[in-house]
Amino acid sequence: MTQDAQNRNAFSMPEPIDGRRCVITVVVGDRVGILRDVASAVADQDGVIDGISQTVVGGYFTATLTAAFPGAVAPEEIRAAVAAAFGPGEAFIAVRPHARAAGDAPPVAGARYVITIAGPNRPTVLKAVTTYLARRGINIEDWNVMFDEPYVTHVGEITVPRHMDIKQVQDEFHHLMMQLGMTTCIQHENIFRATNEVGPITSLLKG
Amino acid sequence: MLRTSDILSTVRMLQEEHLDVRTVTLGVNVAECARGEMAETCRAVEGKIGARAGNLVRVCDEVAGRYGLPVVNKRLALSAASQLLEGRGARDALLLARAMDASAAAVRVDLIGGFTALVHKGMTPGEQTLINALPVVLGRTERVCASINVADTRSGINADAVRLVAQKILQTAEATADKNGFGAAKLVVFANIPEDNPFMAGAFLGPGAPECVINVGVSGPGVVKRAVERLTKARPDASLDEIAEEIKHTAYRVTRTGELIGREVAARLGVAFGVVDLSLAPTPLIGDSVGEIYQAMGIEELGAPGTTAAVALLNDAVKKGGAFASSSVGGLSGAFIPVTEDHALAEAVAAGTLSIEKLEAMTAVCSIGIDMVLVPGGTPATAVAGIILDEAAIGVMNGKTTGVRLIPVPGKDVGDRVDFGGLFGGGTVARVNCPRGSAAFVNRGGHIPAPLRGLTN
Repeated sequence: MTQDAQNRNAFSMPEPIDGRRCVITVVVGDRVGILRDVASAVADQDGVIDGISQTVVGGYFTATLTAAFPGAVAPEEIRAAVAAAFGPGEAFIAVRPHARAAGDAPPVAGARYVITIAGPNRPTVLKAVTTYLARRGINIEDWNVMFDEPYVTHVGEITVPRHMDIKQVQDEFHHLMMQLGMTTCIQHENIFRATNEVGPITSLLKG
Repeated sequence: MLRTSDILSTVRMLQEEHLDVRTVTLGVNVAECARGEMAETCRAVEGKIGARAGNLVRVCDEVAGRYGLPVVNKRLALSAASQLLEGRGARDALLLARAMDASAAAVRVDLIGGFTALVHKGMTPGEQTLINALPVVLGRTERVCASINVADTRSGINADAVRLVAQKILQTAEATADKNGFGAAKLVVFANIPEDNPFMAGAFLGPGAPECVINVGVSGPGVVKRAVERLTKARPDASLDEIAEEIKHTAYRVTRTGELIGREVAARLGVAFGVVDLSLAPTPLIGDSVGEIYQAMGIEELGAPGTTAAVALLNDAVKKGGAFASSSVGGLSGAFIPVTEDHALAEAVAAGTLSIEKLEAMTAVCSIGIDMVLVPGGTPATAVAGIILDEAAIGVMNGKTTGVRLIPVPGKDVGDRVDFGGLFGGGTVARVNCPRGSAAFVNRGGHIPAPLRGLTN
């Protein structure tokens, strides 16, 4: 079975549900106080937010939260409670039950690397990058893109499976990006943590 | 959680500002290799180096690839070779040096230090053998580097050794006249020699060190220069203390990369990690110059009044940033001023704004000494000895390391141009003032006593 087929099968497997937790996604034009409104709605339902990722993309506030509740959760009730904080049609809100398997283990066990790509802004770059990474079973943990027309810089954090030869990945990726006129680097995250964090280096090497 | 701006600033340091690990140096103690016959000793030395350093280059390359951080040089530093030369003659000294040379080549290392003698209090016969062999050894080997410690703060200055070594520097230059005296570039004369310096030509494994140890030298003058430029561009009226603060923060980041690489290499090789030496070591490349940092601070003509203060500011800020970054900072850790290896310094010497005397003043506040300075081939030995004595005095009296790496260029005179190529660069032969004015003083020989500050017990 190919890696792609394995990945498709993995995504289609039924997931056992944790009935007391849910995942909430909110997309809304950015303004002051959005996170307060969402957090208040969850708290009013006796929920406790236990995971959050929030950013603003192109003027849109986007947040994904996980929350735990004392009893069984009805996703539609939670969605309605959050939606009440916004005007009609102002926000896109989605709520789904939390799968037990999610969060138990990362999709890929391996080492964290940082990938940087810079060059002319072409629509095919992100597709080529993500296709390559998915084909190699490399998981994207975080991705940011900065536009400075006509140039673009991608910065991603990825997990490279433990068994994989990083030198081979670096070489293949470099070759691929060179064909698109992009410069690229794949470097272990510790070089960035070492230069930007305060704390003993030995703690990085133990991790 | 890493911030994108932090990631990009690190990438910029690596890709645009020449940040690299300048050297990963494996120290190996070869004292146990002493045998009855020198040929057997040499075989033991080669065997031990092969066993201990066989994977050094491969491991360094792997770790460098993992982090995207170049490790420019991989080198070896042996325990003082003079220990293996007691009771031996000149022929044995050359045999040992050739064994070191061959061992370095076998493990794909470009330089090997440790042809070293510590003679600050006096000389043993083996140490005298080593010093006498310097011209032949440095003339007939490719990779061997030598260092002689002639002074320290607790012992004073061995003026007899200084006089002898000065003669050997001239003879070494003559022995390599076909390479413009390049042999002398592989010989450093020290006061207060550090036991853990990873940089060549002065690296050796000190007597207090473990049997095998990884010491790392990080550099990054380009990173510091760009940091100062960014600050002064954003704030043209930035004060000197603000510049010092900027350098300190930059030094912190640079030092951390060195420790990361060094510890990982040491772990993979199964040896101890020693120190990270944060020394701003230039290369002849534009943008990788220590002199350019002083220019970025506002010293438009290197050697102008204020240059020594700029060196002091830089050296101090580098040490402070490094000390906070790692509890394993050692070696020289400061700013180097190797003239031929730094295009800005070399141009200042050629222009006549930077003299040997000014360089000497700068060495009182930086981390090494008169380094890679070209002087006329006809410079008298007493003048070479006088320069060494002056530098040693600065080191001894200030409780710091100083060194001299002079290259008397055979057949060349003041103003002549010499190019060594590669990382050694090139430059203009500098004037030695009053070259015969101190012969009587130097020829007295003997010992300059230790200063009061050496009596600390």
